[in-house]
Amino acid sequence: MDTTVTLLAGSSRRLVAELRDALDSCAERQRQLERSLRVSRRLLRAWEPAETLAPEPTPGPETNEEAPSAACIPSPQDLKELELLTQALEKAVRVRKGISNAGEGNKAPSLKSGSIATSPATRASAPPSTSHRAGSRASETKPPRGIRQTRVPTKDLPERRLLSVGDQACMGQGAGATKPKSGLRNEQIVLSAASQAPEAFTLKDKGILLQLPEAFRKAASRNSRPAGCSNHVAFWFVGCACVYPSLWAQLSSTQTSDSVDAATTAKTQFLQKMQTTSGWPGPRLSATEVEAEVRHLQTACLLLRLRMGEELTADPKDWMQEYRCLLTLEELQAIVGQCLHGLRELCTVVEQQLGPWPEGRFPRASLPCGGGADPIWSPQLLLYSSTQELQTLAALRLRVAMLHQQIHLEKVLMAELLPLVCKQEPLGPPWLALCRAVHSLLCEGGQRFLTILREDKPAD
Amino acid sequence: MGRRRRRRRVDPADATRALPEAIAALSQTLPAGPSPETFRRAKFDRPEAAPALWRLLFRVLSPQLADGASASFSPEAQVRSVKLALRTQGYPRRALAQLPDDGSQGGRELLLALAWLLARGPLPERLLTQNRVQLGDEMPVCECEALASPGPPTPSVEADGCVDIRHLQWLMGKLRFRWRNLMASQQEQCALLGKIHSYTRGCHSDRSLGHLSVTETELLRDPEGGRQLLRRLERENARLQAALEWRRRELVFWWWMDTVLGACPPEASQPTFLPRIPTPGTGALEPLVQELQALQGELREAVEARRAAWEAGVGGRGPEWSAARTALREAVGQDLAALRQACERGGSCSLAQPHGPHRLVRTEAGAPGGPGLRAPEVIEALRSQEARLEVVLRQLQGQCRQELARLVGAPPGPVWILPPGR
Repeated sequence: MDTTVTLLAGSSRRLVAELRDALDSCAERQRQLERSLRVSRRLLRAWEPAETLAPEPTPGPETNEEAPSAACIPSPQDLKELELLTQALEKAVRVRKGISNAGEGNKAPSLKSGSIATSPATRASAPPSTSHRAGSRASETKPPRGIRQTRVPTKDLPERRLLSVGDQACMGQGAGATKPKSGLRNEQIVLSAASQAPEAFTLKDKGILLQLPEAFRKAASRNSRPAGCSNHVAFWFVGCACVYPSLWAQLSSTQTSDSVDAATTAKTQFLQKMQTTSGWPGPRLSATEVEAEVRHLQTACLLLRLRMGEELTADPKDWMQEYRCLLTLEELQAIVGQCLHGLRELCTVVEQQLGPWPEGRFPRASLPCGGGADPIWSPQLLLYSSTQELQTLAALRLRVAMLHQQIHLEKVLMAELLPLVCKQEPLGPPWLALCRAVHSLLCEGGQRFLTILREDKPAD
Repeated sequence: MGRRRRRRRVDPADATRALPEAIAALSQTLPAGPSPETFRRAKFDRPEAAPALWRLLFRVLSPQLADGASASFSPEAQVRSVKLALRTQGYPRRALAQLPDDGSQGGRELLLALAWLLARGPLPERLLTQNRVQLGDEMPVCECEALASPGPPTPSVEADGCVDIRHLQWLMGKLRFRWRNLMASQQEQCALLGKIHSYTRGCHSDRSLGHLSVTETELLRDPEGGRQLLRRLERENARLQAALEWRRRELVFWWWMDTVLGACPPEASQPTFLPRIPTPGTGALEPLVQELQALQGELREAVEARRAAWEAGVGGRGPEWSAARTALREAVGQDLAALRQACERGGSCSLAQPHGPHRLVRTEAGAPGGPGLRAPEVIEALRSQEARLEVVLRQLQGQCRQELARLVGAPPGPVWILPPGR
């Protein structure tokens, strides 16, 4: 039956709005995740040589090794050109080999370096050794200079390529004096081109060599050194005399002292005086307070429902447990009664105030986590030991959030759809379609549908 | 009773120094804080103090705006926004609402409004927490934002007319799909985080952390970004330091505010008309009333059924019964004390579980580790929460099933074949 089942305008507005709300909050989470994913993926790829690794005047030896080689990775276009050039060079070497095999060993150096530069087969073994030499050479130079050198744009490359063919001979020898840096650069460029940039910095290979800059370390430690970090250790390693707790730790610790008490009293008195000197009695409850109370009651309702669920599904084994269950349920009933009473009082207060609430959401106050007074952030750690564990944790968090949303939607759908089923004319085809759809939405989360068998009267 | 209170006798010379220092600390910890001189001018209601204070209040009352975004609001828009926000929070003085929208007047009134906000809660600390620099990879261990279901949402423009129920089914399907995507993305992000953490083992100067976070690694990859991060961090440190200073010195500010309030002319007593502000009317509270009533009904049914079963049963007779009954009653009372307190007006619903964002730290399995939450504990807590929530969801769905079965009626109606897999 393809009868369309339409809903009343009022219900549909609310339902669609709630569902769109849920979709939007999901989309927002997705956006934030995508941002984080972009950053993380980029970190795990080879790092682009845009800048130096550590803008330090005196970095550790490890960072130096990376700087020149990382900065030597040419652009993709250059890589392609170099690859073509490499092939041409290979051919030239083969030709030369043919000639020099017949000849003496004075070609050997060029051969050796030529083969190092161009033979892809030995790429695995040769580059590391040469790069180590290159690296150690670089580490002698001051990093700013070395870096400046390697920032010379690769536009230079065309000339260099031609030169490098001729220069192969002196390069392989490690001739330091003449043109160490440029030669070094060319060698590395050719090497890296030929072997797909083996010197590119990847976190996987060289992550443990990283080191945070000094200024940052100091500022971060002052900001939020994790609680419990031994101050002696901090002093030794960080090398600064910060034996006080971090700023955030200080801010979030609750101190009671005379001056704090006096300030609190002064504040209370000030507020009272403000209230009495204003000519207008003002609302008994501000809009923010009403909203907060509503949310508080919603949370309370869910908690009570959760507890009721526990009791109803528990299986009492003896009469004591049975009686205890009964008492618990009675107590819960009493608490719900009190909540309702408070809510009705709230309704009367609100009625006396500024009148009906216009459609639309009023500015949401930020709900403090934990429901108590505004908590101030303090540095806290969450320790995990394997990726599996982290994934389980994250998945459970999302699952709990999703369940909260599903419960909320279920309540909304129940409130809007069940009355609809009552109102429609029973047993007609549109009503059956409605029932089937409502059943699916309410009872199966919209995932499964039931089948309705109807016995038709024989056509007579 | 006999405790000697150390009274801080402030002599006038000290007071004249202490007040500007206190105000300077306050102004440094707040975003867009004006100079102490502006505060002094505001006390005497000088017009040149007003614009700076409007700007300050705007930044303070809308902290979710980024630093540069407030420039896109015109001064009039800022003034209106400040007035609305203050009235929503219940600011008692009418005079503020009567100030002109061009932001040219009202220094003293604005000063009083700022003091009112400061007196009601830890304003500087709250602002700092909301906009803080995140150095680590953080994960909240609670789902408090999810718990707070939003108020009635804004209706979308398209849903003017009637809507086909299939549109609802489609929206539900779309929602399920989005959640699945979200789960997959989240798993990927965790895997990447795990890799980054393990690849940078031993790099961090702080041994209790051990490895770098994404933010820290990013700052090494992109030094320009790293420099910006460092600047933000240093600015935050300065503001934190100023907040601690403010806490130490604020008493003299409150004494001074007393004089400011005294300098105001008394307000007229008849209430003038004020424009309507959005307040939740009884319409918004109605669903909540229904929900609580439904819950009450369910509990009543359950209690009646069990009490009847109890009365008819054989347990609970005899002399030792009354002692046992009292003991059980007490036990149940204690059991539910926390819940009762959480549901009371103004009670906190935290239920003693850890809250807030925690920095992720990867440790070797089996290592004792330092202070901090352990992932297995959090996983346990989340699992039990998940189980309880699932029970509630199944209950609600079960209710719906019963209700629908009742409405469809007894045979000879159509036969319902329920879907398989339950």
